[in-house]
Amino acid sequence: MHLVEPTHLPSRKAPLVWAIGAAIPWLFVVVAQAVWFIADRRLIWLHVLAAVGTVVAMVVFVVVVPLWRYRVHRWDIDPTAVYTRSGWLTQERRIAPISRVQTVDTYRGPLDRLFGLANVTVTTASSAGAVRIVALDADVAERVVVQLTDIAALSAEDAT
Amino acid sequence: MTQVAGQEWLHLSPRMLLVHPVHEVLRQIPVLIGSLVLGSATGNPVWALIGVGLIVGYGLARWFTTAYRIGADEVQLRTGVLQRKVLSVPRNRIRSVSTDARLLHRVLGLTVLRVSTGQEAAGDTSFALDALPAREVPLLRATLLAESLASPASIDPAGAQGRVLARWQLSWLRYSPLTFTGLLMIAAALGVVSQTGVLAALRDSRAARAGTGLFETMGAVGSVVVGVVVILTASVALSVSQSLLTYANLELRRDADLLHLSNGLLRVRESTFDMRRLRGGSLREPLLVRIFGGARLDAVMTGVAGVGEASQLLPPCPRPIAESVLVDLIAEPDAVTGALTPHGPAATRRRWTRAMVLPAAVAGALTVVTATVGAPAWAWPVLGVLTLFSLFLAVDRSRSLGHRVGGGWLVARAGSLVRRRDCVSAAGIVGWTVRQTLMQRRAGVATVIAATAAGVKRYEVVDVPADIAWSMAATTSAWVGATDWARS
Repeated sequence: MHLVEPTHLPSRKAPLVWAIGAAIPWLFVVVAQAVWFIADRRLIWLHVLAAVGTVVAMVVFVVVVPLWRYRVHRWDIDPTAVYTRSGWLTQERRIAPISRVQTVDTYRGPLDRLFGLANVTVTTASSAGAVRIVALDADVAERVVVQLTDIAALSAEDAT
Repeated sequence: MTQVAGQEWLHLSPRMLLVHPVHEVLRQIPVLIGSLVLGSATGNPVWALIGVGLIVGYGLARWFTTAYRIGADEVQLRTGVLQRKVLSVPRNRIRSVSTDARLLHRVLGLTVLRVSTGQEAAGDTSFALDALPAREVPLLRATLLAESLASPASIDPAGAQGRVLARWQLSWLRYSPLTFTGLLMIAAALGVVSQTGVLAALRDSRAARAGTGLFETMGAVGSVVVGVVVILTASVALSVSQSLLTYANLELRRDADLLHLSNGLLRVRESTFDMRRLRGGSLREPLLVRIFGGARLDAVMTGVAGVGEASQLLPPCPRPIAESVLVDLIAEPDAVTGALTPHGPAATRRRWTRAMVLPAAVAGALTVVTATVGAPAWAWPVLGVLTLFSLFLAVDRSRSLGHRVGGGWLVARAGSLVRRRDCVSAAGIVGWTVRQTLMQRRAGVATVIAATAAGVKRYEVVDVPADIAWSMAATTSAWVGATDWARS
């Protein structure tokens, strides 16, 4: 027996938001390097080495990783369970029965709000069992929350 | 039970008026030293008296300001001399009640009673009644647990009922020299001693000079050997006595839905667990204990922390005893002793690569060093020993790896230095994760993680063939196979 992959994609804006989120800390590194270059122009090879390192890292984390994650991230909900696939180098598929769901939260960071995205976290009684559906369009996230809370309310099992 | 289940605030035992000041004085030793110094510096001993008086007064005030109430729906504890604080625990949330009596408490016939809901976050204050007269405790324990238990009739206030599952024997001590407890205690003691500056004082003393003389007559090798022998002997002695003090008198008793564990020679601890919260058990076999056929047993239980002493049911003891107790608890002999399915060649290959990375790297570095500047002669034998040890690790870890599914239980075994066999009931599993790193995807294996509210919360089955990962989950939890995504 096996499970087919979940089918729903995150928002189309997800790679962009992830890219911006990853770029912000790297911009500080770029600024720091520029300041260092202006302040001290000796050891030009060290400047070049650091710049090349930064560019390579930025390409990986700002371009490659968001696109890679967009190819991996999928989610799906059926009447009994919620199922996600996430990650890039390390990939995870996680499934949790809705009857055991304890809370359904949405989280919207500043960037998410700017681009109209939302993240849904479905927690179970286990700290190792939370299912996260990230970077959904806000209206999709709202529907997911309603759907999940409706199903969870119908089942009256003890969630531990 | 009515005499304890009242609505009025009750004080703890008045005998705590003796205990609190002693504890406060011990805890405030820095302040006390400060006031003594101030007293002798100013030539006015009144300062020292004021210091002691304040501390003792604070200790006394703690008794007067601490009160508890056992209401119909919740138990409350009111504390705080300067700040008032009321801790409330709903009675139907109480998952376990444990008691603890240190030496001073025992002399005065007192017992500390702790109530746990199993939901406490790390920083929360625990609900501890410190302390009550020992003879009131069994009744109070029964009252507190009655709310969360199905059959309060089964609780006997005298608490002497039930079947004994295991009782400590002197022969169990043979596993305790094989732990690192003693070494840790010596290291901690040395740390404290060096902090206080005693070592610096010793440096010029007669003892130190004698030691140096001894070192010179015996030579470096002799001194190291003697030092190692002394430390090992002390470590063994400490480990054995610590284990004797902690576990002597240990008794594990089952009384229908309740599990009672009591242990300790000087400091007596008793815990009561609700069996309906039991979701399985873990047999842990540290290498040095396993060599001598021992194992320790942990409960996998909701509302009890998964690591440390809270969940430990049996200290290192003969493996058959640990196994028979676990069989008795979970009523599933196959999960405890049944044969396991090995994880196949890919998993074995990964164990070998991992174990051999370190010796290979060291060998590579050593070759480079020898070719350029020359390596010391002892480096190669050390590498040989390291390689042999890694070989052993690879073989042992490959042999350990195994799992068993079906019959409503998930069983996973892994590890070598600390081998563990986790048995988790399907009823307790609230989610499944199949995780693959890049290397695991290339090797065609996956780590299956069962999430549960009990024990350590996550139970991993490492490096199973990727194509059976989901069928393992579905065999254990039927709901996985009933979802829309399941295909045969």
